[in-house]
Amino acid sequence: MLKKYLTRMGDGERVEMTADEIRRDFELGTNDAADRGKIAPLTQDDLDRLLEIFTNPNKVVSVEPGNEVPLTHDIGTLRLMGDQGNSGVGIPLSRVQGIQVHERAFACDTMELGHIDYSFKPVKPVIAMEQQELENALLSTIVPLFYGAMPNLGLYYSPDGPFGNPSDLLPMGKIQEAREAQEGAVEHATRDMIYIAEKLAAVGADGINFDTTGAAGDTDMKATLHAVEYLKANTNLAVEVGMAGEFVLGMHGGLEYDGVRIAGLYPHQQVKLVEKAGADIFGPVVNTNTSKSMAWNLARAVTFIKACTEVANIPIHVNMGMGVGGSPVFETPPVDSVTRASKAMVEIAKVDGL
Amino acid sequence: MPIAHGMAAGMGGIRTAGDLVARMQMTRKMRIREAKAYVAEKLKVSPTDLSNEHVMREVREELDIGIITSVPGCAKGIEAKARIAELLGIEIASVKRLKNKVNF
Amino acid sequence: MSREELIEQAAQSIVEANKDLAVEIANKAIAEGIDPVDMINNGYSEGMARCGDRFDRGEMFLPELIVASDAMVAAISVLEEAMPAENRAEKLGTVVLGTIEGDVHDIGKGIVATMLRVYGFEVHDLGRDVPISSFVAKAKEVNADIVGSSALMTTTQVGQKALEEALKNACLRDKVKTMVGGAVVTQRWADKIGSDLYAENASEAVIKLKELFS
Repeated sequence: MLKKYLTRMGDGERVEMTADEIRRDFELGTNDAADRGKIAPLTQDDLDRLLEIFTNPNKVVSVEPGNEVPLTHDIGTLRLMGDQGNSGVGIPLSRVQGIQVHERAFACDTMELGHIDYSFKPVKPVIAMEQQELENALLSTIVPLFYGAMPNLGLYYSPDGPFGNPSDLLPMGKIQEAREAQEGAVEHATRDMIYIAEKLAAVGADGINFDTTGAAGDTDMKATLHAVEYLKANTNLAVEVGMAGEFVLGMHGGLEYDGVRIAGLYPHQQVKLVEKAGADIFGPVVNTNTSKSMAWNLARAVTFIKACTEVANIPIHVNMGMGVGGSPVFETPPVDSVTRASKAMVEIAKVDGL
Repeated sequence: MPIAHGMAAGMGGIRTAGDLVARMQMTRKMRIREAKAYVAEKLKVSPTDLSNEHVMREVREELDIGIITSVPGCAKGIEAKARIAELLGIEIASVKRLKNKVNF
Repeated sequence: MSREELIEQAAQSIVEANKDLAVEIANKAIAEGIDPVDMINNGYSEGMARCGDRFDRGEMFLPELIVASDAMVAAISVLEEAMPAENRAEKLGTVVLGTIEGDVHDIGKGIVATMLRVYGFEVHDLGRDVPISSFVAKAKEVNADIVGSSALMTTTQVGQKALEEALKNACLRDKVKTMVGGAVVTQRWADKIGSDLYAENASEAVIKLKELFS
């Protein structure tokens, strides 16, 4: 009887697969990425290495000593203080205490301060509070501190914002109106993000993290790129741009940056615009398909990210949270799959950080 | 989950030299090899030692750039960062701001 | 022009989101005596399937998809005029869709609504942040065949389970099929709460619902 290995589905369910079955899913996954992204599939050596990682009998695997990479964090301290919506564990701590716990108890390489809503727009009216919190954190911690938030252009559309909601306008065939609303939102969001980041830079922030860029489509990314461009030209902030999905959803479809249409770009193309805007770190995302095996998902994710790291001139910190980067869509992701995904991203996709 | 990633692939923050390598990525856009080589040279250790607790604990103590356990007298917070900025030859905004305020 | 050429041109007119061309080809097909049902099924629907695939790959964008669906609707209405009344395509089913209360994420759900409309479903999109009672009331009002709910967050995902219960309490559960989706939703979750159908994305929602109603 063929030996079977314990592995997972994209939703975290434990399954057993033979080496041949795992390899077959690797090939399907890498070819899917290659086909969609018009990039090279993983090489035979890569697939052999990936198979070694999958068939390792240990529950937890790790990179070889010397191959470690820095970790940047999103969601700030909400994973400690937050509720289930942030995959938080609900510990009543101040945010400064949360940062100190990450630095001194979890030994994080960098940390982040973030607002409870984790979107830029709601930070604007409470910016003084965020500045004060950041000042306190900066005095008492050593690791680099980002301020993180999501561009979240959805907050600029009705009923939350001043512009018509494209999700309402498009089904009515009001394409021009939807596009104009999105262009207006880009302008407002860019202004808000710059305002907030400049205030945080003024009190000594090390960096700013634009998290889940592109969640509301190409408008999200356009606003972010313009904000990044301004901030790199006018402040000393380090800038990280993290994405929301493997390709930029075309909610507008016609928006460009530096003469390149933003919608439909995959990680190896996204990074070029992020570099052009001046960002220091790029965090690409590849989504997990819950109906496919982890072998399929991880091979696919590594293929996209490898293509990105190969063309990048800035550090690549791949997103490895719940449901991305080959990790299962499950609120308490199994350690066996998380550590396998980490190792594969570092040693096969050659990322510069997670 | 970040802890699992940290154990599998992370550098180890101020237990080792994770914060220092991250700073070079953030301030100079250095890819991982370059960032490690730069920090290793400044610390006079090998790149592999940057994630070796046994080496880095001593190095951090000697350079007084902050260590993970709470040792009285060892540099903490912005004091450690002031030395890190000097050691790595980079600007750390919060340190610069403090220096400006106290007219250093 | 041969049937094959017209069929291919019909598909292409949808891919190009060219409403005028789609209507022109429909008129040509009628003049050539080609079966309108054949044109719809193998020409225009095939074009829409190609659009769905391109959208999934980031090669086509939402506004283009909307224009393509508009072209398809225009061509089908021309062809339907030429069909005997009994052959006219009937709607595939009535769908009530919404994002669970407390959740404001509706981009994905909006795309599902668009795709389902394109494929001939009557869709009542309740939008986002929709109370469970509104799903039930709308399903009753429009005599829905499908009640679909979306949840992006684990905190609102539980609303999908509450919806199952509410439909049972309103004696509607046997009359409708339920469909769930959203970033954190999985087949396992659908099975656990007793939902009839889970779709990973908009294209899969269309495929599964078409199968259900074919």
